[in-house]
Amino acid sequence: MKKGLFDPERIIIRLYEVSKHFGETDALVNVTFDVCRNAFFFISGPSGAGKSTLMKLLYLGEPMSSGYAIVDGMNLTRIRRNQVPMLRRRLGIIFQDYRLIPNKSVFDNVGLVLEVAGIRSRKVIRERVMAVLEKVGMAGHYDACPPTLSGGEQQRVAVARAMVGNPSIILADEPTASLDPEAAEIIFDLLVSAHSEGATIVITTHDRYLLSKGCTGIVCLKDGRCVFPDGAGR
Amino acid sequence: MKDAIRRGLADFWNYRYLHGICVATIALSVFVISAFGLFLLNTGDLMASWTRGIRIIAYLAPETDEKGREAIMDTVQAYPGVAGVEYVSSEEALAWLKKEVGRQTSLLEGLVDNPLPDAVEVALSADVEGAGDITALAGKMESLSGVSDVEYARQWIERFGGIYNLFQLTSIILIGLIIAAIMMIVANTIRLILYSRIDEIKITRIIGADDAFIKYPLYCEGVMLGFAGGLAGLLLLYAAYAITVPQLSSAGLLLYFQVRFLPATMVVFILLASMTVGWLGCYLSIRRFLKV
Repeated sequence: MKKGLFDPERIIIRLYEVSKHFGETDALVNVTFDVCRNAFFFISGPSGAGKSTLMKLLYLGEPMSSGYAIVDGMNLTRIRRNQVPMLRRRLGIIFQDYRLIPNKSVFDNVGLVLEVAGIRSRKVIRERVMAVLEKVGMAGHYDACPPTLSGGEQQRVAVARAMVGNPSIILADEPTASLDPEAAEIIFDLLVSAHSEGATIVITTHDRYLLSKGCTGIVCLKDGRCVFPDGAGR
Repeated sequence: MKDAIRRGLADFWNYRYLHGICVATIALSVFVISAFGLFLLNTGDLMASWTRGIRIIAYLAPETDEKGREAIMDTVQAYPGVAGVEYVSSEEALAWLKKEVGRQTSLLEGLVDNPLPDAVEVALSADVEGAGDITALAGKMESLSGVSDVEYARQWIERFGGIYNLFQLTSIILIGLIIAAIMMIVANTIRLILYSRIDEIKITRIIGADDAFIKYPLYCEGVMLGFAGGLAGLLLLYAAYAITVPQLSSAGLLLYFQVRFLPATMVVFILLASMTVGWLGCYLSIRRFLKV
């Protein structure tokens, strides 16, 4: 793929020859792809292929070793440290292990995103949090602490947390990997619903069932290299 | 800021067990230091009360006439630290001596001449502090013409003053060492609290929190920890004071001396110092956590 003309109206994520090394180990090598705005995009590949590392690079959980990346108009190679929070506020991130704060209630976990975004009105926070909890079917558990919930319920709260700030991109790192098929179906449907509301969804998965549900774009990683759709072993 | 305080208060409650340990650590530290302070304060008071009881006696030379005596008295009265000057004639001194010896008066009846000299007795004011001031004052009086000798409890003052000064110096060094140790303990306790919250901080970072959003509530928590610990330590000390002092009094150990509690200014200072220690503990520990 050439480093073609960048159209921010059409392309929301662009990675060009992105590499990541951990010491002598190459986690990602020259990964190049674009994600269009409002895409439902999969990053696929076997375990250890570099999917989660790639996800971390997108929200700057790890810095790139080399290459060039733009996420929602922000150039990740030139971003300053104090701009990283601004990038992350444009993203909703879902993890395989949920990453909810265990001693805060479901309401507080979700509401924290709005507080971080600078919303001070308790009334606004309450309305928006309860609306999104209603959407994911967790409104009845708003005052429960995450450890008292099942895995599927915790992941629904994590989806609510990712959606509450109306982000332009939702990054989901193996969101269904630790869930039973029914719970996985619910989570997938929630992501589809967020996509239908305008968000760009990027999901890493090695679950063939999820991949069979269809998407608007896909890359496949193997040993840190992009092998599909280019297939040239990059 | 209001929001940071609100979140700090909420987290103070959310992590109440860990914070309880930190508050207990600070409280014990404040108790130990304040107890030292209380002891120093009261021994200082005791020393001052003993010093105030001391009188300097200037014996006048036999050739000193009334004019010379009055000049000496005026000069001494003008010295700083002198509360009052009283003339004691040799006759008055002998009468006082006879009264003091009581039944052994007969020992003095054989005297042909009164051997006691005329004297000027000097009472010291409250602003005289320690053996140094008294020795300096006595030296000045000794150098006056018409004064043959000066007497005061030199040995006692020098010995006790020396012990007190050594004790004071040792206490200050000890307090300094304890404060340094406490700073480390508090900083490490707060670091442990932050370690236990590292996942929460990481998650908050991932959802877009900036440095200010994370550190200001933690600073508030540090100040609250310091305040709660300082208050608990002072209350503990007051309880110990309120229980111990009446028992010492009833045992007759405090007949001529009143033990007092720390003055309000010192209480406020200790509270402010504890709050500063709490904040500093957070400040020193927080940097590495902002890198996550």
